[in-house]
Amino acid sequence: MNSVKSWLSRFGLLVALVVAGAALATVKPVFLTVPNLINVVRQISINGILAVGVTFVLLTGGVDLSLGSLVALTGVVAASFAHPGDFPVVVPVLLGVLAGAVCGGVNGWVVTQGRVAPFIATLGMMTVARGLALVISDGKPVSNLSREFTRLGGDCFGVPIPVVLLVVVTLCSALFLGNFRLGRYLYAVGGNEKAARASGINVDGVKWFAYTVCGALAGLAGVVLAARITTGQPNAGVGYELDAIAAVVIGGTSLSGGVGGVGGTILGALLMGVINNGLDLLNVSSYYQAIVKGIIIVGAVWLDRRKENP
Amino acid sequence: MKRMVALLVVMALCGCGRPGGELKRITIGVSLLNLSNEFIVMLHQAMETKAKELGVRLIVNDAQRSAERQVQQVENFIAQRVDAIILNPCEVEASSPAVDKALAAGIPIVNVNSETRSAPTAFVGSRDEESARIALEYIARRLHGQGNVVMMHGFLGQAAQIKRDRGAKEILAKYSGLKLIAEQSAEWDRAKAMSLMENWIQSLGPKIHAVFAQNDEMAMGALLALEQAKMKDKVVVAGVDAISDALQAVRDGRLDATVFQDARGQGSGAVEVAVKIVRKEPFQKELFIPFQLVTRENVARFTSASAP
Repeated sequence: MNSVKSWLSRFGLLVALVVAGAALATVKPVFLTVPNLINVVRQISINGILAVGVTFVLLTGGVDLSLGSLVALTGVVAASFAHPGDFPVVVPVLLGVLAGAVCGGVNGWVVTQGRVAPFIATLGMMTVARGLALVISDGKPVSNLSREFTRLGGDCFGVPIPVVLLVVVTLCSALFLGNFRLGRYLYAVGGNEKAARASGINVDGVKWFAYTVCGALAGLAGVVLAARITTGQPNAGVGYELDAIAAVVIGGTSLSGGVGGVGGTILGALLMGVINNGLDLLNVSSYYQAIVKGIIIVGAVWLDRRKENP
Repeated sequence: MKRMVALLVVMALCGCGRPGGELKRITIGVSLLNLSNEFIVMLHQAMETKAKELGVRLIVNDAQRSAERQVQQVENFIAQRVDAIILNPCEVEASSPAVDKALAAGIPIVNVNSETRSAPTAFVGSRDEESARIALEYIARRLHGQGNVVMMHGFLGQAAQIKRDRGAKEILAKYSGLKLIAEQSAEWDRAKAMSLMENWIQSLGPKIHAVFAQNDEMAMGALLALEQAKMKDKVVVAGVDAISDALQAVRDGRLDATVFQDARGQGSGAVEVAVKIVRKEPFQKELFIPFQLVTRENVARFTSASAP
C-alpha cells in the first residue's frame, strides 16, 4: 500500500515534468532537441549527485548544510593534485572523494557522539570546510589542471561523463536503499528512531554511515565541478546545499525522515534543471527567474503533498 | 550639512594634533570586501607591500561580502583609534554608514576599488564603466560594427554590475549594427556562466557573434561552453579583470580579450593616499587608475604585472 502511494507520488511528479516539458517544447521547439536535452541532464549532474547523497541523510531525519562548502573544499583538494604530469588521474579523484567522506564522517560523529543537532553540526562544517578551502588554495582558484582530469567534466562519445557518473550513483543508491539491510535501516531510523533502537539497530552507526556517504558524494560532485570548470574554486558551490535539498523534497522525500527515495530525487533535480534551462531559453529576465523558480519549488511540493493527504 | 560638521571635526582634530604622533608608527585599518576573491587578494597583497615599504602597520579585516560586518569592523577601528581607514566597500548604500562613522570620529577614510554613497576623504579606484566600454569597443572592432552580442551580468544591483552594464550599453548605442540579443545574470560565477552559455547555444546558436561577460570568471565559463560546442572560432569572447586564468587563456589564444584592472595600482595607491593624509601632505581626492585592454598582442606585458 505504502509503495503504491509512493509510486503514485512519483508518477505525479513525472506528470508535472512532462507537462512542463511539453509546454516548453511548444513555445521553444529547440527544447526537445537531443543536444538541448543532453544539456539539461549535464547541467543537473552536479546537483543530482549532491541530492542523491543528501537523500541518505534526509531519510534518517537529519540534514546536511555543508554540501556547498564541501564541493568547494573537495574541488580545491582534487585540483591541487591534478596539475599536468603530477599524478595519475585517479589520485586527485580519490583524494577529493576521500576528503568529502572524511568531512561527512566528522559530521556524523558530531551528530551521534556529541548529540549536536544536525542543523548546527553541519552548519559548523559549512564554515570550517569553506575556511579550509580558502587556506589550501590561498584564496585563489587552483588552475592549470591536466587534460585527463578536466576530461571528467566533458563528453565521451557524445555522452557527458558527469551524467554517466550521476546514473551510476543513482542506480547503486537505489539498489542499496531497496535491497540491502543497511539501506532499509536508514528508513527505520528516520521513521521512528526509538523503535529502531529498541529493535536492536545500531542507530548511531546508521546515521554515521549516512553522513559519510553524503560527504563522499559531495566530494565526487566537487571533483566533477572542478573538472567541468577546469579549476578548483574556493568560493564555488555557495547555496548548492539548498538546491540539493529542494530537489530531494520535490522528489517526495520527507524532511522529517523515513519516507522517500533516490528515484524521486532524480525527478526533482530534473524538474529544477528543466525550469532553469527553459527560463534561459525563453530569455526570461534574471529578476523574474528567481521569483518563478521559488514559486515552482513550493508549488511542486504543495501539489505532491495534497495528493498524499487528500 | 553633515559633511560640514564632519569636516569641522576633522579640522578640529588635526588642529589639536597628537603629541608624539610623528614618533608613533602609523596604523591603518583595512576592511576588505572578500578575501576569497582573487582580485581582492591581489589588492591586499599590493597594500601589504606598499605598507612595508612606507613602514606603516596594517590591520586587515575581511568583511566576507557583508556590509553589516564591514560597518562593525570600521567601528572597531574607530575604537582602536587607528590613524586612517581604508575601505573596500561591499555595497554602495549599506557600507555608507562605515564612512559616516569614521568621518564623524575624525578618522580619514579612503575608499578603494568601489564607491559608497557617502563621500570619503579620498577615493582610489577605476571607473567601472570604462572597463565595459573598452571591452565593447574591442568587440565592435572585431565584428566591424556589425553583429549580435550577448551579455552576462554580475550579481544584479551591485555597483560593478550596474556600471559595467551602463558602459556596455553606451557603446552598443553608438554602433547601430551591434545588437544585444540576450542578457542574463550568471552572478559572477564560472559554473553558472557555463550553464547559461550552453543554454544560449541551444536557443540562439549561430546567431551569437560575440559574448561580453562582466567579469573573467564568467568569460571563462562562456569560453568552456563554446569550446565544448566547437563554436569558439566563430564567436568573440571578452571579459573584465585580467585574472590569471584569463591571462593564460588569452596567451593560449583561447580567450579573445580581457580588461586589466590594476589591483596593484589600486592597492598601493590607497595606502599611499592614506599615509599622505595622515602626514598632512597634499593628496589627490580622486585617484583613478586606468584600465587597459589585454589581447594576444600585448598579453606578455601583463603576466608579470598581475602575478601575485
